[in-house]
Amino acid sequence: MTLSRRDFIKGSAAALALSAIGGPCFAAAKEEADKWVKGVCRYCGTGCGVLVGVNKDGRAVSIKGDPNNHNQGLLCLKGAMLIPVIYSTDRITEPMIRKDGKKSELTKVSWDVALDFAAKRFKDAVAEYGPDSIAYYGSGQALTEESYLANKIWKAGFRTNNVDGNPRLCMASAVGGYMTTFGKDEPMGTYNDIDNATCFFIIGSNTSEAHPVLFRRIARRKQSSPDVKIIVVDPRRTNTSRIADLHVFFKPGTDLALLNGMAHIIFKEELDDDRFIKRYLQFQDNEGNARSLEEYKEFVAQYTPEKVHEITGIDPDMVVKVARMFAESPATLSLWCMGINQRSRGVWANNLIHNLHLITGQIGRPGASPLSLTGQPNACGGVRDTGSLAHLLPAGRVVANEKHRNEIEDYWGVPRGTIQPKMGHHTVALFENMASGNVKAVFIHCTNPAHTLPHLNKYTKGLETAFVAQTECFHDAETLKYADVVFPAAFWCETEGVYGCTERRYSLIEQAVAPAGQSRPAVEILMEFAKRAGVDPKLMPYKNSADIWEEWRKLSQGTPYNFYGMTRERLKKESGIKWPCPSEDHPGTDLRYVRGEDPLVPVNHETKMFFYGRPDGKPIVYLRPYQPPFEPADDEYPFVLTTGRVIDHWHTATMTGQVPELRKAYPSAFVEINPDDAKKLNINNGDPVVLETRRDKMTFPARVTATCMPGLVFCPFFDKKLLVNRLFHDAVDAASKEPEYKICATKVYKQG
Amino acid sequence: MAASKKIMLAALVALVLGAGGFFLYINAAFPQDRCEGAKHLDRPEEFADCVTCHTKASPKVTQDWQESKHGVMLVKCVVCHGEPDGKGSVPFERAPDPIRICAQCHDPAIKRMVAKYGSNLDCNSCHPNHQNPMHGDAYENKIPTTKISLPE
Ligand code: SF4
Repeated sequence: MTLSRRDFIKGSAAALALSAIGGPCFAAAKEEADKWVKGVCRYCGTGCGVLVGVNKDGRAVSIKGDPNNHNQGLLCLKGAMLIPVIYSTDRITEPMIRKDGKKSELTKVSWDVALDFAAKRFKDAVAEYGPDSIAYYGSGQALTEESYLANKIWKAGFRTNNVDGNPRLCMASAVGGYMTTFGKDEPMGTYNDIDNATCFFIIGSNTSEAHPVLFRRIARRKQSSPDVKIIVVDPRRTNTSRIADLHVFFKPGTDLALLNGMAHIIFKEELDDDRFIKRYLQFQDNEGNARSLEEYKEFVAQYTPEKVHEITGIDPDMVVKVARMFAESPATLSLWCMGINQRSRGVWANNLIHNLHLITGQIGRPGASPLSLTGQPNACGGVRDTGSLAHLLPAGRVVANEKHRNEIEDYWGVPRGTIQPKMGHHTVALFENMASGNVKAVFIHCTNPAHTLPHLNKYTKGLETAFVAQTECFHDAETLKYADVVFPAAFWCETEGVYGCTERRYSLIEQAVAPAGQSRPAVEILMEFAKRAGVDPKLMPYKNSADIWEEWRKLSQGTPYNFYGMTRERLKKESGIKWPCPSEDHPGTDLRYVRGEDPLVPVNHETKMFFYGRPDGKPIVYLRPYQPPFEPADDEYPFVLTTGRVIDHWHTATMTGQVPELRKAYPSAFVEINPDDAKKLNINNGDPVVLETRRDKMTFPARVTATCMPGLVFCPFFDKKLLVNRLFHDAVDAASKEPEYKICATKVYKQG
Repeated sequence: MAASKKIMLAALVALVLGAGGFFLYINAAFPQDRCEGAKHLDRPEEFADCVTCHTKASPKVTQDWQESKHGVMLVKCVVCHGEPDGKGSVPFERAPDPIRICAQCHDPAIKRMVAKYGSNLDCNSCHPNHQNPMHGDAYENKIPTTKISLPE
């Protein structure tokens, strides 16, 4: 390499400047990478492929987007700043225990001591109170192998179905929606639909901040074809609406009426797809009774634009306009996220979106699909697909079904009858049962419930009462306050395993660097712990996580989740594959349920689409009436409070909070309030504002912006100093048991 | 003669010192490669919130960014420029290094350009980072808006 004189002067000046600056500058960013190791971003459900640059000393020094994964090399700001998280000084690197109960300090101990300490408590609880006195609380951020293993250990080893996790707080309603309408979970479309859609119906999703790289793909679509229409339906006008043709404000929690109203217009104006309806669909009411198409039409006819206006506040003309855009576009793609899922009628809201796609035939073609966005990087692949929830078993099976239980028991080599027929506790019930003393010990893996549960004041009692074993990487996690044992887990690219993102895509994260300090991969921790707690070691005949993958891959064969073709070797070579993928030479599937695309549809099937998830092959259109949210605003509590993310932070900010740039972009939570409301309440930017709900009250600095519509206030939930979940109620969806984080009633006033 | 030589020398030294001092002073007072935020912000915990200050301090650049693709996608200032005290995870630079910064997302494009035009990497000269709007001409034509009109 030759340096020109100018380069040299520039270089030495820069070196001088850098040395003069001093301070804890992360030197990592300046070094050259020696090799690039393939992986997936640690954060959101977009699941961007990354390449981690490792230097000669085995230290991660840089990161870039994987050009061969769906993100085509791009990352958002969080993904681009992942490296400093690995080397944060906040890392937990040694096992710790609280010897003398919750009040004592966490002290560092050896691995043996920590593992035995935890194992004994679980073993004792099982011996004295039975297996249902223990539980596992997992995460949509754990690796697939970890969730699969924990599910097996608890359900077949300890023999309790008390296995749940944070996907219950985020994805359960979407699962409920796909299951009830199509018979099987997971979307039929993929991100490729974004490049083919001609209309985007984005409802209850701030895609721009929660799934930035997907948002960029939508923007690019709009940019290359300006005729593409984008509709954003949201009580907040977020950055997502910057590229929208229509932004539709509505009274929070009333969108069910809009969705039914759209269906009404679609029939009234003959925008429906009669051929598709007659060939494929069936109709059902809330009681499970079969209904006819005519009855369905009559049902939605109640939701005239005027009635919708009354309920939602949306202009009647706008209802018609949105319905037309949705139905008349050659290919409409719906995208939704927590605004639909985290609702006391989340499953219904999901069903109603599916309804619209079914009655218009906007499904099964490139660009036409109902695509639910996931919040976490591995909620789909890790938890939904492996069945690591209280009512599920791997690959779409349920614990309540004896045949399903027997299939899994036979495969796992345990006697029939080992797996309990009774469902375990779903998340909210689990923490209730911890508080009441029914659940004595819980293993919390890779998540932070003391920060994320609703109605926190009520549910942290569970953590105060029960024995808590926790795997964690960062001291910053709120739940550590309640942990009796802390196992330092290897972080992200310090170990290897599979992540499965929103679009049924499984990608392998390869190990790039050695685990920090004494931390160990979670599969090792789980196996060591389970063996000491009395679980038969024959259940865990694995040397490493690749062995677990092998077992899970083979189990998927012959199921609707078939990814038998994704061997570890193949995942190492390729940057993510979408299931179904039944054989090693299969490229993966874009359009599920479509003949010629989906390998599970026979090539000579008589119709183009085959909804094999349902026994009769016919998806269900539901007659779901409008129901208000659990706690709408009223005279006493006149505002609606909602929560969500900001782009800079991810979940509880235990990771993003380690990066100076991200931390300082949003050092603390705030309350967003509409200028009209602020004026009435005499609130200026930065003023301390009290939010008082029926549960608690807290003070936030005000941010006066037109993002929220009048009557609505928004707080991000990342800040552990301002735990907004303390203000929330614990109402859950009747079917999915997902809490309604998006709507509660609150008073708003300036702190006097 | 000797005395006048001495005076000349002294004058020269004074001139050099004076000019040097002035140069140093100007450099320190009107820096090209430093954000004054590091000195004047009384809230270091908000160092990454560049836009609030720069809406006033350099409104044109801020607006360009805001309307650029990077602005629409919320690729914020600190992602490429680091934070003003230089103590963050991204080095503080006025003109970010393409290899280290741009390549995080645009490696495939960079490789394509290098293959075509050789390794003279200066992305910004043809693709102004702050002036690639989502709307307007660039939006339709996919070319940068900053055009130089050549004399006839
Ligand atoms: S969009 Fe999500 S997955 Fe992609 S880089 Fe950003 S945080 Fe990571």
